[in-house]
Amino acid sequence: MTGGNIATDLSRVVDGLDDPDAPPSQKLPPGEWVKKNLFSSPFNSLVTLVVGGLALLLGFFAIRWLLNNDYEILRVNVANFMVGRFPREELWRLWASGFVFLFAVSLTTGALSRSAHELAITQELPTEKESFASFVKRFWAVIAVMLFFVSFARTAPPYIGLAVAFVIPIIGREIGWRLPTPIRRQIAYIGTTLLVLSVLVIAGTSNFGGAVLGLIAFAWVSAELSRRNVASGLASMAVNLGPAVIVGLVVWFVVRSIGYEGFGWEDWGGIHITLFTAVVGITTGMPFGILLALARRSDLPVLKTASVIFIEFVRGVPLISLLLASGLLLPLFLPVDLPRPADLTLAIIVITMFSSAYIAEIVRGGLQAVPKGQTEAAQAGGMSAFNVQRLIVLPQALRAVIPAMVGQFIALFKDTSLLSIIGITEFLRVSDIANAQTDFVGRGLFGVTYLFVALGYWAFASTMSKESRRLEAKLGVGSR
Amino acid sequence: MITVLLWALALFLIAAVVYTVGRLVFDTFQLFRTRAARDDSAVLWRDVGAIGIAAQAVVLGLIGLLLWYLWGNFRARTELLGLELSFDFLDQPGNITIADNPLDAGDTVSEAITQAFLNTLRVIAIGIPLAMILGTLVGISRFSDNWILRKLATAFVEFFRNIPPLVVIVFLWAAVFLQFPRSQESWTPFDWFVFNNARFAFPSFKRTGDGNFTLFVWLILIAVIAAIIVGIWRTQLFNKTGTPHRRTLWGLGTFVGIVAVSYFALGTPATISIPTIDDRGRVITDGIRMQMPYAALTFALVIYTSTHISEIVRGSILAVHKGQEEAGNALALSTVQKYRFVILPQAFRVAFPPLISQMLNFAKNSSLALPIGFTETTAAIQNLFGQSQPAPQLLLILALLYLAVSLVLSAVGNVINRRLQLVGR
Repeated sequence: MTGGNIATDLSRVVDGLDDPDAPPSQKLPPGEWVKKNLFSSPFNSLVTLVVGGLALLLGFFAIRWLLNNDYEILRVNVANFMVGRFPREELWRLWASGFVFLFAVSLTTGALSRSAHELAITQELPTEKESFASFVKRFWAVIAVMLFFVSFARTAPPYIGLAVAFVIPIIGREIGWRLPTPIRRQIAYIGTTLLVLSVLVIAGTSNFGGAVLGLIAFAWVSAELSRRNVASGLASMAVNLGPAVIVGLVVWFVVRSIGYEGFGWEDWGGIHITLFTAVVGITTGMPFGILLALARRSDLPVLKTASVIFIEFVRGVPLISLLLASGLLLPLFLPVDLPRPADLTLAIIVITMFSSAYIAEIVRGGLQAVPKGQTEAAQAGGMSAFNVQRLIVLPQALRAVIPAMVGQFIALFKDTSLLSIIGITEFLRVSDIANAQTDFVGRGLFGVTYLFVALGYWAFASTMSKESRRLEAKLGVGSR
Repeated sequence: MITVLLWALALFLIAAVVYTVGRLVFDTFQLFRTRAARDDSAVLWRDVGAIGIAAQAVVLGLIGLLLWYLWGNFRARTELLGLELSFDFLDQPGNITIADNPLDAGDTVSEAITQAFLNTLRVIAIGIPLAMILGTLVGISRFSDNWILRKLATAFVEFFRNIPPLVVIVFLWAAVFLQFPRSQESWTPFDWFVFNNARFAFPSFKRTGDGNFTLFVWLILIAVIAAIIVGIWRTQLFNKTGTPHRRTLWGLGTFVGIVAVSYFALGTPATISIPTIDDRGRVITDGIRMQMPYAALTFALVIYTSTHISEIVRGSILAVHKGQEEAGNALALSTVQKYRFVILPQAFRVAFPPLISQMLNFAKNSSLALPIGFTETTAAIQNLFGQSQPAPQLLLILALLYLAVSLVLSAVGNVINRRLQLVGR
């Protein structure tokens, strides 16, 4: 096409060649490698011996402990760890929901990376479609631990399900990459609709109004964030809201006409509820967090004082005290004739408050990082205060804090383990339940089940933190 | 202490309301005065100041309405439940006991909470310094030339950093601390220590009965202060004249000198106290004794927090300009000297603000002892719920206690931080 493309092609050719200035590769023979890395000086040798000895001792104890344990408890309870007391004959709902969720996420990321790819081409930057191998490398921890978990099952369906769950993201990404441009532009609505559908597969349509309202709000916000319509003023926000409402109504009528029963979250459990609570906590906390951050940065004393008191109070107390309050104090503030909501509902309200305070501080950091000249330029251009925030400041601020937001998501994901203390059957609490079963009570198998739980948390959290570092590098936050 | 906190909260809330309402009234007054002064012809609803005040009044009104509504619900519900909203229960018997704490079932609720809060402080006071030291060591280890040390440090950090603190606590409790022998078969290395799955004990000092023990303890405290003063004096002397300061040697000398002289002058008031366990394996006498859950909680939190601290330390070492290390190499400094005098002082300047937030996290995570049976503040309050003490007031006290800890810790941290930062021109 243009000369720029030839230049990128050329640079790829040059990248393939050996860099003449690079030092020769240092492949040492094993003997010298050991000498250089382990015994380069007397002190170094001492460190090697002491640390290596300690590691061997620890490894010995660990292996002895691992070999002497009885893993029957995991074999019996692996389904409980995954889904809690969800009705076993309805497990297909969870699988289907998981597939739809994975498809939604992979479709969206595929479409987004295609858009980024095309943008990079117009700007004549080097860009390439991600390979399959790098995809596996990014998610090896989750894949490996899920395989390990499933290996405790004795029936075929989990294996098949896992295989499908592995294939779906690849297909979804491919489809997202190949979507025709006009459809790809609507990915914000498509993605959110699929996400809501993935919840509906489990929860059914009995309590459906809230889900549709959530869908509309979420689709609207993602349309705003993906810069679908960048004209100024309330009217252009309404233009983004319109399709969200239409999508919501269409989903409402279609799903309503199918109308089928599902299971509310009183019956959910296991790692499913852990992931669900974390996702809900961060998404519902986001709008409140942004509002709180804006209020805290405002010149108006009432807004500022209220927001500072809220944020500092929530950040100053441990989450467990807030969760205890969710069961004991929060119901007291509800109208007298309202029946007591489910424990998880109360907990999610509190978690939303909690995460909004932390998100507010993150967003505040992002707002501070936007140069004052941006605001001044926008004001000089005659923008209203509302449009300055919506079109100039917030997009830059939010872009800068994406990695920190992922970090907050990981923290929240880890914090959901506290739900076990207030009696919600999430991932960690299943291990207490398993240890109370008649076959296993009093046998001291806590270590085994806790290790299993720890591995589960580790796989998800470490994968996400790797992803956040990748995102940080990709967005170039901090380097610009 | 609890009453003081409650009064502080009440005063703070009144001050906040008075401040915001006062500012609003003052701003309104100011607005109309300036408008009158500059003979403003702009309509009121296009005046930025007026819009701001109107928006604030609306927000204030909405917050007030919401609080009024919630309070109405709250009163209705509490009256339905027959819940009293006073704090008189604090002086009633608490009916709970805390292992190893001097607390009778007949003691008051506020005494029980105070004892439990002391347990929280014990975890924080021991744990935060340990986590700092371990975290710094691990953070430095990740730059080591030694392959094993480097890889082990990385593995340690990557494993424990990505597990929830609660899971770290219960896992280490079950997999390490519950593996200690039962108390009848306690493990007593060198006969100086006692380890079993209920209690740990370490050697310490105790009074002999001769001489004045209380005075001796005070003199030890004075010796510490004197050693610090001598150290500062040597540093100043070094800065002024350049004579080698040797402040560690001088400080230690002062401390040992004062302690030794007072020990003999007071007639040997103290002796080493070695813990011993009786034949039935029930009672440990002498030494420093602690419950196993306390040790497990502190150990697990130290491990968890140190991984986060090590990441901060690593990041800030990377942030120190590479030329600094090269300059240190050029001066032929040893690795220890290089870190001690060149890299770490600069790294800690960057690292300290995030380290403060890790300290706060440590303090907040110390509330996670409920599943392993250590009665710190949160667990004690939870026990008190079981004794049908009123939940709303107890939750308020719980939140206030942690807020107080957070405030004190961040105040101390900010003071240190200000000392660490470069004085700008």
